[in-house]
Amino acid sequence: MSSSIFFKFKSQKEPTRLPFDGTAISVFDAKRDIIAIHKLGDGTDFDLAIYDEETNEEYVDDTVMIPRGTAITARRLPPVKPGRGTAQRYVTGKMPTAALTASRIEKKT
Amino acid sequence: MATKRKADASVDEVIDPSDMLSFICLGGGSEVGRSCHIIQYKGKTVMLDAGVHPAYEGISSLPFYDDFDLSTVDILLVSHFHLDHAGSLPYVLTKTNFRGRVFMTHPTKAIYKWLMSDSVRVSNTTSEQTTQLFSETDHLTSFSQISAIDYYQTLHHSSIAITPYPAGHVLGAAMFLIEIAGLKILFTGDYSREDDRHLVSASLPKHIKPDILITESTYGTASHMPRMEKEARFISLVTSILDRGGRVLMPVFALGRAQELLLILEEYWEAHEKYRQYPIYYASSLARRCMAVYQTYIHAMNDNIKSLFRSKMAAIGEAAGKDGQAVGGTNPFEMRWVRSLKSLDRFDDVGGCVMLAAPGMMQNGVSRELLERWCPDSKNGVILTGYSVEGTLAKSILNEPTEIQAFKKEHTSRRSGREEADRVMIPRRCSIDELSFAAHVDYGQNSSFIEEVGAKVIILVHGETNAMNRLKSALLSKYHDRKDKPRIYNPKNCEELFIPFKGEKIANVVGK
Ligand SMILES: [Zn+2]
Ligand SMILES: [Zn+2]
Repeated sequence: MSSSIFFKFKSQKEPTRLPFDGTAISVFDAKRDIIAIHKLGDGTDFDLAIYDEETNEEYVDDTVMIPRGTAITARRLPPVKPGRGTAQRYVTGKMPTAALTASRIEKKT
Repeated sequence: MATKRKADASVDEVIDPSDMLSFICLGGGSEVGRSCHIIQYKGKTVMLDAGVHPAYEGISSLPFYDDFDLSTVDILLVSHFHLDHAGSLPYVLTKTNFRGRVFMTHPTKAIYKWLMSDSVRVSNTTSEQTTQLFSETDHLTSFSQISAIDYYQTLHHSSIAITPYPAGHVLGAAMFLIEIAGLKILFTGDYSREDDRHLVSASLPKHIKPDILITESTYGTASHMPRMEKEARFISLVTSILDRGGRVLMPVFALGRAQELLLILEEYWEAHEKYRQYPIYYASSLARRCMAVYQTYIHAMNDNIKSLFRSKMAAIGEAAGKDGQAVGGTNPFEMRWVRSLKSLDRFDDVGGCVMLAAPGMMQNGVSRELLERWCPDSKNGVILTGYSVEGTLAKSILNEPTEIQAFKKEHTSRRSGREEADRVMIPRRCSIDELSFAAHVDYGQNSSFIEEVGAKVIILVHGETNAMNRLKSALLSKYHDRKDKPRIYNPKNCEELFIPFKGEKIANVVGK
């Protein structure tokens, strides 16, 4: 089953569709797909933050699932440490097996 | 009401939040590339430049636009046509909520039009659809939103006054003086104070005293070779490669400094018959299209080019008087010893030659193709004449690597992490030399201009972190003993500066 969420960079007018299989996509996979679709490179020279478009709340936990149909915005930021952008985690790494904190999970789901 | 105390003032001053000027680099902060700065003061917002970074593609090459609400910008000023200053303008105009006015000089606008069409076409052939920031249609439909202005002409919009002054550097390049509620801000863009063969060097009328100077720092504390010496060295580099039976490759940005190099070569070929056997090629259809613009704006250039123009006119007049035959065009940029090359398919690669080819950073395209073809032969030579941007092949080749990576049209997915295995390496035996004709100020020129301007606040932009830090330290020690020393900033991207200025420049002093 193919679903999608709607995605745009904060500075953009028009959203694009981000398709995936299933009913929800993890924050980790969403960020990885955004980097891949827009060919943002190896992720070493920027940080990437994504937000719920309505609430403007940041998705900080990579394991949180974003339900299909959700509209999200992304912010490309200069890396806190030059050449060591946190976005590279989504290019080379694996999704963390544990959520950030238990309370965070409750809040987000 | 919240008030902030100015730490370094000897008198107590109450700074109203509305007296704060905010400055932020969305790009070009402690880096060279994707120039874009935002100034906010008294509820007005001015954006300076909308560039792309030559080391990146697509969205990655953009300034950090997500960090600022572009719909609040009143005025966008584009300093010159180079892509690191103008390359994302069509994106800003068509893909974001920007709805301000855009200004650039007439020649900048004329060249920008061709340049962006060309850059869309180049990226069409070298990368996939998804990395395209905008289409040619986007470019052409947004083009009409740009207003052109003349040097020295002051324009008022939304209570902001702007005046462009010549900046040297490339045809049409401007320094902008911006005035908001009595506060004067000067943005140099890329600027040059050296006389060259075609441009007027940068200057500001003496009576204008800006409060803030935003200046480029590309060359940091480096010193340029004197012009005569540099030209002699350039000619000797070129001729020694030809003398050993090699080919000379000069990767250049298609427009701007290339015209200057061609004028130098043309003059030497004119005077030295021996070298006329070696063709000088200029592989740029874009440059050919823009020659008309150069012709049109000869009046905006220096006396050297004007007199060259007049002597060509006179030659035609004489010839016409004799037998009614014209002896060629009047355009000083139409050269006798330079052949323009439409594409490499038409290039007969049979022996020694001088080749100027774009792009300057050799990321792809003709210059990259020729580099790969020529670099295994030690007789050949590459001369880098521009500023080589961090992260590009032009920069890495300066370390004289023993091999370079072949460019492939189909990039393997960078996600796979297996790109190492797919690399095709080419041995590098050709010579590599660097000689800057980039037309940026060096330390001496920059610091004396900073002195002349005499602004109390100096913001350094458009420089790599190290070059910029060195420039800042040099300026700090220069002004160390002065009573009224300027404040000097070198912000990183997205790092917001808040600088207090008294409203309408009327002192608001209490307790005295
Ligand atoms: Zn430039
Ligand atoms: Zn520049």
